[in-house]
Amino acid sequence: MRRLITVVAVVAVLGGLFLYGLFRGPPNRDVPSQLVGKPAPDFTLPLYTRFQSRFGSSFSLSAHKGTPLVINFWASWCNPCFEEAPLLESAYRQYRSQGVLFVGVQTQDRGQYDAGRSFISRFGFDFPVGMDNDSSIGVNYALFGVPETFFVDRQGIVVYKQVGPLTQAVLAREIEAIVK
Amino acid sequence: MVHLQLGHLGSAAVFLAFGLALYATVVGALGAVRRDARLQTSARLATLATFLVVATAVAVMEAALVSNDFSVQYVANHSRIASPLWVKVVTLWAALQGSILLWGFLLTAYTALLALTAPLSPLRPWALSVLSAIQVFFLGVVAFIANPFHTLPNPPADGPGPNALLQNHWMMAVHPVLMYLGFVGLSVPFAYAMAALITRRPGNEWMVQTRRWALTGWGFLGAAIVAGGWWSYEVLGWGGYWAWDPVENVSFMPWLTATAFIHGVQVQERRRMLKSWNVMLIALTFCLSILGTFLTRSGVISSVHAFADGPVGPAFLGFFVVVTLFAFGLIALRWDQVRDRAELDAVVSREGGFLAGNILFLALAFTVLIGTLFPLLVEAVSGQRVTVGPPFFDQVTLPLWMLVFLLMGIGPLLPWRRADGSSLRRNLAWLAGGFLVAGGGALLLGMREIYPTLTVALAGYNLVSLGLLLGQALVPRLRLTSRSPWSVLWSYAHESRRRVGSMIAHLAIVIVALGVAFSSGYRVDQQVRIDFNHSATFQGYTLTPVDRFLDRSASRISSGAVVQVSRGGRQIATLRPRTNVFGSSQQPVSKPAVMYTFTHDLYLNLDNTIGPDTTYVVLRAIYSPLVSWIWFGGLLFVVGVATSLMPARRRLDERRTVTAGARAAGGAAGAAGDSPEEAAEG
Repeated sequence: MRRLITVVAVVAVLGGLFLYGLFRGPPNRDVPSQLVGKPAPDFTLPLYTRFQSRFGSSFSLSAHKGTPLVINFWASWCNPCFEEAPLLESAYRQYRSQGVLFVGVQTQDRGQYDAGRSFISRFGFDFPVGMDNDSSIGVNYALFGVPETFFVDRQGIVVYKQVGPLTQAVLAREIEAIVK
Repeated sequence: MVHLQLGHLGSAAVFLAFGLALYATVVGALGAVRRDARLQTSARLATLATFLVVATAVAVMEAALVSNDFSVQYVANHSRIASPLWVKVVTLWAALQGSILLWGFLLTAYTALLALTAPLSPLRPWALSVLSAIQVFFLGVVAFIANPFHTLPNPPADGPGPNALLQNHWMMAVHPVLMYLGFVGLSVPFAYAMAALITRRPGNEWMVQTRRWALTGWGFLGAAIVAGGWWSYEVLGWGGYWAWDPVENVSFMPWLTATAFIHGVQVQERRRMLKSWNVMLIALTFCLSILGTFLTRSGVISSVHAFADGPVGPAFLGFFVVVTLFAFGLIALRWDQVRDRAELDAVVSREGGFLAGNILFLALAFTVLIGTLFPLLVEAVSGQRVTVGPPFFDQVTLPLWMLVFLLMGIGPLLPWRRADGSSLRRNLAWLAGGFLVAGGGALLLGMREIYPTLTVALAGYNLVSLGLLLGQALVPRLRLTSRSPWSVLWSYAHESRRRVGSMIAHLAIVIVALGVAFSSGYRVDQQVRIDFNHSATFQGYTLTPVDRFLDRSASRISSGAVVQVSRGGRQIATLRPRTNVFGSSQQPVSKPAVMYTFTHDLYLNLDNTIGPDTTYVVLRAIYSPLVSWIWFGGLLFVVGVATSLMPARRRLDERRTVTAGARAAGGAAGAAGDSPEEAAEG
């Protein structure tokens, strides 16, 4: 009898666990990031020549305290980056009047300066873009892959991280969140 | 006039089959309780009828798929006119509803085969009744919860086609069938074990009668796991074959417990020990196969394998609870009969080795289960989401695997009951020699990583063990005959198929282990960007993308690069890694190109999309040593199991005398590994 009770108890616990699993609602498949809610790691990014007259030879995060930032990581070989690039540029043109600044970081793309330049002219980026040649900025931001985009508020806190290509809806929602 | 559609026919068949299975369960049990031969026969005939009716349902579904009858919902949801014929045929198991129909079909086929071939025994009616009850569940799911035969009043002109990953490689057509054949095969010994408990006859009878079924199911499951690994290697583009993903784990756990069962059975046959173990192992195997289906088909555990969260989750959970309560409840009630009375004479004995091996297999299965369920457990308790990844599984299972390896070498050399000191020492000296030579060689060749080096050393140790086993069987035979060693080996292989089959299976495991150790310990994985008609070097190879291509057919569009591979200035291969887009799905799936060689594979996966004006390729280049040994080992494993399964042939009189003489001589020589298995054979 004692054995039978043990069997029933074990099955009940397992069954309960699985029932919970069955009815807990849709699983959340977001990739968690340690950075969300923390200050964005500082970096200095050497910029492509065309941006240097307006933004200086390099872009330094610490010099932009108080500015809401959208930091976009991309690579010239990455197809989803091509997909999201027009969205990024149009969002920048739409929201820059509200004080938000975008930064493009070309990463995991060692030495591909020509490919980077053609990427930039293809989409006519007006926001500063530079080369993270040794991918060290990408490492500091714990990239999962490219593209990834970080939304940083006026206090320099990472508010949201997007893994994979952006959508119009995410861009609008998260920019609203960091400019307010 | 009502227009009769294929869907109606299929639904009718499924409902009829459900009714027949229910009849076979109830009448079979009733016939067994009342010992009424007429009722038993009626139930037995009902299992045959169930098989024929389910076969009709499968034929109807195939007819609908092949003839593009989109009035059947399953066809409309998962098939497509432009697909090649083979894709249409295998679309039967491309989605949930169809694959449960296939599972049900294989189950009825095995049951019918059993009903026709199983010898009359007090166990048979109960075993058939238990199998019919399992059929009731599967056919009930097909009929009421996931009926693939629903008809559409306004059928579409064409459908989206099956999952792109299915169409990408023919192995996806084979792997699920192997898996179901494994699960279904293992439900036969389960049914017999339950019958033995119900009838209070927990002796050897149920095991002896289901030895072939158990081996068949176990062999199919093992083949399915290797086939799944190879599929993953060929199509997923990361150059790996095993990721400890929940979907993989749930197929692995029943294989581990079934492995323990296959070994435990031998102890019970020889020594009438481990009775309770064996019953529990086969019950656990069956429960784990249902649990696995529940976990992967219900979305309870998130997995990289994108199975839709179907409506069958609660049904499988209910079935799992019922089956577990029934099986283990019955074991608890019959504990006094299944409990072991015999005691282990000595730890260092064949049965001691088997027992230790069983504990290791069980520990492995438990580790995998914990790792798989842990995220759910944590979430239930704390609401946190965690992931248990390969590092956990590797760290915990690798030491256990090494111990399994250690036992695999020494176990078969130990005699039953008690090892004799001097022959044990002699065998151990040989084994240690194999270990040291292989391990030392590995160190000299520059291997430093602990597990791969240890695997090589243990592989040497195991090869020596196999050599000793073979030698101890052949040497006395050779002394008594003038025939050539090859012909003696050949007739030994014919006479002792179980013995030789197990040696082949163990050799296969050694080969797989070496493949796993090298391909995971020494793989090089690099992303390279190369402009067309430029070259890059990777692991001594020069890779030159020379051209791009675009193939368009009715069912797919594939684009890729032609990469020439050369070494030392000599061109040795042309690889065509590509990206496929199937039908209307916009999701591109990669199809890596692999250069298979005996010592290593060169694996190229395309990381960028090749368009008409693309000027460069981005390749994920992977160099994997010995990875093809895993696939070869998998094949050899199947050969080993098949050898064990072949019935022992009656030999010519002349040969029989020689063997008898050899056996006598072997017995006189007192060789530790002298195999009495021939006696158990047949």
